[in-house]
Amino acid sequence: MPSDAIRAALLKRLRANSGITEDDVSEILALPIIVRQYVPEQTVVGDGDRATECCLIAEGFAVRSKTIADGKRQILSIHIPGEIPDLMSLFLHVMDHDLVALTPCTLGFIAHEALQRLHHRRPKVAEIFWRDTLIDAAMFREWIVNVGQRSAPARLAHVMAELRERLRVIGRIDGNTFDMPLTQEQLGDALGITAVHVNRVVKQLREDGIVELQRGRAIVLNEAKFWELADFDNRYLHQSPTT
Amino acid sequence: MRHARFHFDIRDDDRFTRDDEGKEFADVKAARKEAVETGASIARDVFMSGSADHVVVDVRDDHDPLIKISITLNVEDPVRPASKKTA
Repeated sequence: MPSDAIRAALLKRLRANSGITEDDVSEILALPIIVRQYVPEQTVVGDGDRATECCLIAEGFAVRSKTIADGKRQILSIHIPGEIPDLMSLFLHVMDHDLVALTPCTLGFIAHEALQRLHHRRPKVAEIFWRDTLIDAAMFREWIVNVGQRSAPARLAHVMAELRERLRVIGRIDGNTFDMPLTQEQLGDALGITAVHVNRVVKQLREDGIVELQRGRAIVLNEAKFWELADFDNRYLHQSPTT
Repeated sequence: MRHARFHFDIRDDDRFTRDDEGKEFADVKAARKEAVETGASIARDVFMSGSADHVVVDVRDDHDPLIKISITLNVEDPVRPASKKTA
C-alpha cells in the first residue's frame, strides 16, 4: 500500500471532524509509519503490554475488548480505517485492555517519540488528536448507555447506526449497505448477550423488514424503522469542527 | 474445543424462531449454559416491554430434542388483576 494511502482515511476523517489545516496535513503525511499486516483475532497490543507506538488502521476492522476472570469478553468499541484506537497509549503507557484485529488488517505504526515531537512542534496537531480522544470517550459513554439501557434489538441497531455514520465520513458506505464484519459471537461480546440471542435478534430484524445482516454486510431495509429502533442521535460523534 | 452442533429454537408469546443452522459447543453442558443465558436475556427484554410473559428455548442436536428451558413471568398482584401485554 502506498504511503499516502495508509494515511488517506485518517486525513479524510480529520478534515471532516476537526478542520485541520493543510500545513498540519503535510506534517501528518511526513510522520514515519511502519506498516504491518494482521490476521483476524490477532492481538495488536494486549492488556498489560507497554506500548511504544500507536497504530493507525489503514485497512480492516479492529476492536478494543477486555476479558474477565471467567473468560467472558466484553467488546468495548469497533474501529475502522482512519482511526488510531490506541492513541491514549501515548500518555497511558501500560495497556488496560486489548486491541484485536477483527478482519485482515493493514496497520501503520507510528512511534510515540515521533508523535510527541510533532505535538511539541505543532500544538494545533496535539489539539486535534486530543479532540479525537475526547470523541473516543464520548463514544464510550454512548456504548455504556446502549448496553445498559436498550433492548437487544435496539442495542444492535444502535451499534449499526453508529458504525454506518462513521463509515460514511471515510466514504465507505454503498447506498443502504455497509461492512459490519462481526460474527454472531463477536456481536454477542459487543452487546452483552449470547451468540444465540444475537442470532434471534438478527432474524427478527430481517423478518420485520428493518435491517439485514449477512456475511459481514449490513443492509438497511427500512430507513425510518431502523432509525426509530436505533434511537440514534449522531451528536455525540461530533463529526464537524463546530460541534 | 468445539465439536458438536446444537440448534436453539426459541419461542415467546409472539414469535417462534427456528434455528436451522445451529452453533457449535464443546458439549451438552456448554449448550445448556448458552440456552439458560439466552432465555434469561430474552425474558428480560420481553418481560420488561410487556410483549410476552413466557419464553421457551428448545435445544436439539441434528436429530433429537435435548433440553427445554422454560421461563415464565408470574406476577401476583392482589390489588390489580394480572393483565397481559401492558406495554
